[in-house]
Amino acid sequence: MNAGLPLRDPAARGRATALIVALVVLWPLLVVAEFKPAALFDAQNLRVTGNFLAAFLPPEAGREFLGFLARATLETLAIATAGITLALLLAVPLALLTTRVLAVAEIGPGPGQGRAAILHHGLRVLLTVLRGIPELVWALLFVRVFGLGPAAGVLALGLTYGGMLAKVYAEILESGDTKPARAILEAGGGRLQAFLYGLLPGNAQELTSYTVYRWECAVRASVVMGFVGAGGLGQLMDQAMKMLNGGEASTILLAFLALVLAADAFSGLLRRQLAAAGLRHRHAGVGPAGGGVIAALAAVVLASFLFLDLGFAALLTRESAQLIGEFLGAFLTPDLTPVWLGKVAYGMLETLAISAIGTLLAVAAGFACALPASGRLGRYAGQSSRFVLNALRSVPELVWATLTALSVGLGPFAGVLALALHTTGVLGRLFAETLENAPPAPHDALRDAGARPLAVFLYGTLPEIAPQCAAYALYRWEMSIRMAAILGFVGAGGLGQLLYFELSLFHHAQAGTVIAAMLLLSLLADAASARLRRGMAAG
Amino acid sequence: MNHTLRRLALKGALLFALAPALAGNLSAQENTLRVSAIPDEAPTELQRKFAPLGKYLEKETGMKVVFTPVSDYAAVVESLATKKLDLAWLGGFTYVQAKIRTQGTTAGTAIPIVQREEDAKFTSKFITADPTIKSFADLKGRSFAFGSPSSTSGHLMPRYFLQQANLSPDRDFRNVAFSGAHDATVAFVAAGKADAGVLNASVWDKLVETKKVDTDKVRVFATTPPYFDYNWTVRGDLDPVIVKKLTDAFLKLDPKNPEHAEIMALQRASKFIPSKKENYDGIEQAAKAAGLLK
Repeated sequence: MNAGLPLRDPAARGRATALIVALVVLWPLLVVAEFKPAALFDAQNLRVTGNFLAAFLPPEAGREFLGFLARATLETLAIATAGITLALLLAVPLALLTTRVLAVAEIGPGPGQGRAAILHHGLRVLLTVLRGIPELVWALLFVRVFGLGPAAGVLALGLTYGGMLAKVYAEILESGDTKPARAILEAGGGRLQAFLYGLLPGNAQELTSYTVYRWECAVRASVVMGFVGAGGLGQLMDQAMKMLNGGEASTILLAFLALVLAADAFSGLLRRQLAAAGLRHRHAGVGPAGGGVIAALAAVVLASFLFLDLGFAALLTRESAQLIGEFLGAFLTPDLTPVWLGKVAYGMLETLAISAIGTLLAVAAGFACALPASGRLGRYAGQSSRFVLNALRSVPELVWATLTALSVGLGPFAGVLALALHTTGVLGRLFAETLENAPPAPHDALRDAGARPLAVFLYGTLPEIAPQCAAYALYRWEMSIRMAAILGFVGAGGLGQLLYFELSLFHHAQAGTVIAAMLLLSLLADAASARLRRGMAAG
Repeated sequence: MNHTLRRLALKGALLFALAPALAGNLSAQENTLRVSAIPDEAPTELQRKFAPLGKYLEKETGMKVVFTPVSDYAAVVESLATKKLDLAWLGGFTYVQAKIRTQGTTAGTAIPIVQREEDAKFTSKFITADPTIKSFADLKGRSFAFGSPSSTSGHLMPRYFLQQANLSPDRDFRNVAFSGAHDATVAFVAAGKADAGVLNASVWDKLVETKKVDTDKVRVFATTPPYFDYNWTVRGDLDPVIVKKLTDAFLKLDPKNPEHAEIMALQRASKFIPSKKENYDGIEQAAKAAGLLK
């Protein structure tokens, strides 16, 4: 008997093979993403980054600049609020028209069923297009149409989030108790009645909670849209980063972190209150307190619109509607010549590579941070790593990209790092939660049987958390694909760089092809991740 | 009952919220001159430069002058075409884009009215902070920063002259970056974010004069031949009376008049001269040759 044998890792060979296969598959992606970690430690790059970061201190605190900053912060909040309001106006009717629960045609054959099915299908396609094109691209298009300022951001948010809210609203309505609505419909009630009396009472809390969460996302998104000139903090950040003005950049970053964390906390508080209120009284109606909240909300929305002074009236004249139509129409005849298609295909591949490598790095780094963050390595390590994770995730990918482009030069690798940094923050937190919730029994049993700590982790904990962590990673990869498509706006490779260039030169046919490619990527990511998740749920 | 109330409250609130936004621009002020400029420098700098000129134009035309800073070159062109601007400071290439974009539209073909004397023989400077770069040939395999893709002096003409020297940025440079603005290009090169870059001579001279650039570190290693650049362009269907007033106002500017001298110093103009669209035919051909105009 070989004495060493019992200590050999029985799964080592399988795991090693899997690792090698993964590396072989990954190799071409690493090449496309120009993955060169050495660039991080290049003396010149270190000097450039060092000088810039050194200029972060002291943060700019001049009175004039702080005035700009305060205005930009308000503008960001107002854009998010007005954008969500617009999204709601769009999403509510679309959700009511597309949800299966309210489809009379689902009840049985009747006159006009074919037409209804076509309408249904058409609207679902519309929703996919609305949310499949990133808000940044909408913003860039609208900046052209409206010219200048926040109107473009508000409309872009309204469209993308309108599509997103409508889809999720429809799903929420379908996942709840659908019998009351069905009963009303079958008794001859109208769709609106079925919604108001059959669906809304049971789903109001979840619908509101999701809307509040989306508002929080909109705050982050409206910062990002500033980078294409749609107003707010992002526009200020873009200028500071372009001029490499470290003092201004650090002040803006601080304001931005404070804003995101505050929005985060406010939205969390609001959602907890909603959940508590939902438990307390299950009857319909808003009550006096609810009335007060609605009045306050209306005041905030009104203030946002007034503050932004959007001038949508310009849209309402026939002439400008025609001009806008002409402008958007130019994108509908995409350039399909083989040379251009080849270039766009490479852009897609680059975008995919950036997202895949970035997410993988984030999985590794997220895991490394999750171990201390879950409290396994002591309280002090837990708190500090949770702080790091929060900071990482508060800064959007696009802002990270402006920083990583300095440390490794412009190009796809900067995009990879930017995605990895933000996603590490998100995944680290999710992984830590999963670790905290993992059943302790297998871990304890192995430890008590005398296994070494590494073996305890590999065989007691890892199998318990792996499926959940993999699901999170896939979900984030899907988001990263969409994000990688636009990182090019700040010079971090992929489709975004192509789009920015072609749009600048009024090459609308070429830009149309790039936008179609972005939409295609988004659809593929949607389908692939849904399939993988179903597969994992079944397995 | 409660639902109806809630619905009414929501509807009322939304209408209430949208009404002022909708009404805002209806009072499209007849007597306002809407002005903008391509953002080839930081928008705050553009605003500072424009302030005294705006006051002067207000006095000369009797109209209220509103300057809106923009962060995107193409937005200025698009705004002329959609009649959101009356007067704009354009680069040579943006003027050509505006001309093509507005031909045959209801906004009328954009008309260049005046330009600075300097714009008739404009140049771009190639700069670097790297001692090993001494000529175009040394740029092969290096990273390079242009200004905005839409810039004449920061992209189009330098690209054209590089091509004349048998250098293709897409093929021969390791990485091509677009800093977005001339002053940003200097920041890129000074910080080493790009090995070399190119910007318009006028902004370079200004940065050197005001000591905003360390000339011991960043130096000019090549200059382009002269070409036509910037002009002030009006929307094609602007009232000819106003166009005449504006043209005269610019041409009347005299450096001997101290009040005018301030305006001209900020505009970096020794004198304004009439402009015409034929001045920019050369730019149009260069843009086609460089593949930037299809």
